[in-house]
Amino acid sequence: MTVKIRFFARFRELLGTDIVTDVAPGTMFTSLIISVAKKNPEGCAAIFDETGAFHEFVILMKNGKRIEIADVAETAVVDGDEIAVFPPVAGG
Amino acid sequence: MFSEREFERYQRQMMLFGEEGQERLKKAHIFIAGAGGLGSPVSIYLAVAGIGTITIVDMDVVDGTNLNRQILHYPRDIGRKKTASAEEKLRELNPDITINAIDMKIDDNNAVKLIGRAEGIVDAMDNYPTRYLLNDVAIAKKIPLFHGGIRGFYGQATTILPGTTPCLKCIFPKPPPKEVFPVVGVTPGIIGTIQANEVIKYLIGSGELLMGRLFIWDGLQAHGEEICVERNPACKACGDMTTITTTPGKKK
Repeated sequence: MTVKIRFFARFRELLGTDIVTDVAPGTMFTSLIISVAKKNPEGCAAIFDETGAFHEFVILMKNGKRIEIADVAETAVVDGDEIAVFPPVAGG
Repeated sequence: MFSEREFERYQRQMMLFGEEGQERLKKAHIFIAGAGGLGSPVSIYLAVAGIGTITIVDMDVVDGTNLNRQILHYPRDIGRKKTASAEEKLRELNPDITINAIDMKIDDNNAVKLIGRAEGIVDAMDNYPTRYLLNDVAIAKKIPLFHGGIRGFYGQATTILPGTTPCLKCIFPKPPPKEVFPVVGVTPGIIGTIQANEVIKYLIGSGELLMGRLFIWDGLQAHGEEICVERNPACKACGDMTTITTTPGKKK
């Protein structure tokens, strides 16, 4: 099955975007994003902390719906999912 | 009533929203938190559009490193208070409006009083702790918060109507880390202009506000998109608010 991952802003600079990837059924959300992000250590470090958990400020969406970081490690992706990973910006 | 000079100044926009809309802008009082990268375009466009009363608050002094983006401030202003510089420029841009420029750090103790009777808050800050504070005041006063944020070539904006849309804490429960952020002036120019556009639409009751929509700007791709955002019923800031379905200021 395939899912699409969309990175935004700085994450996009580091990792590209609109990444369509083949995944095995039962693949968990967090492990999927780690597997895609680890191609660039800087990109991986921007999204995940040293324990492999999402930084708490990262915004995650699945098919246009917000999902909470607390839930993603236990959430499996399904065929056709579109996942968005977004870093809020703080400057003014 | 408008003077001859005001009729002339506002002629082109009264073609859009009439004397009635212009009157609405003239009676409005908008609070702008910050006179930096976002605060510059926001205050300039709101001033020239004829927002009757603008309160702008900042605690900083103009620094040489500000000049690539903070277009209210000129090289001659280096070392001056940003509020003094902002007040001078905005008065000159439009002598027919009232500018309250307040040199102060917005904090827990003064925020409610500073914002006073303003009917909308523009978030032109560079940090989340103060943004969360503005969010709390917007919720307490049930007035809109026009949010913007930038970094590098990227920006985000949304319009928060407490009780109707998600609040800032629903959307961003945790702040991104503090940093000296890279930025090119066009990015706050774009995002600040969107915020000012939202304020004007809110006041005249036209169009569709960025309600429940987080606008995301990617300047490198020259691409804008939006993601839908929803209220969090467990939100620590606005979770207790009853849902309000009508949009204030919106004419049916």
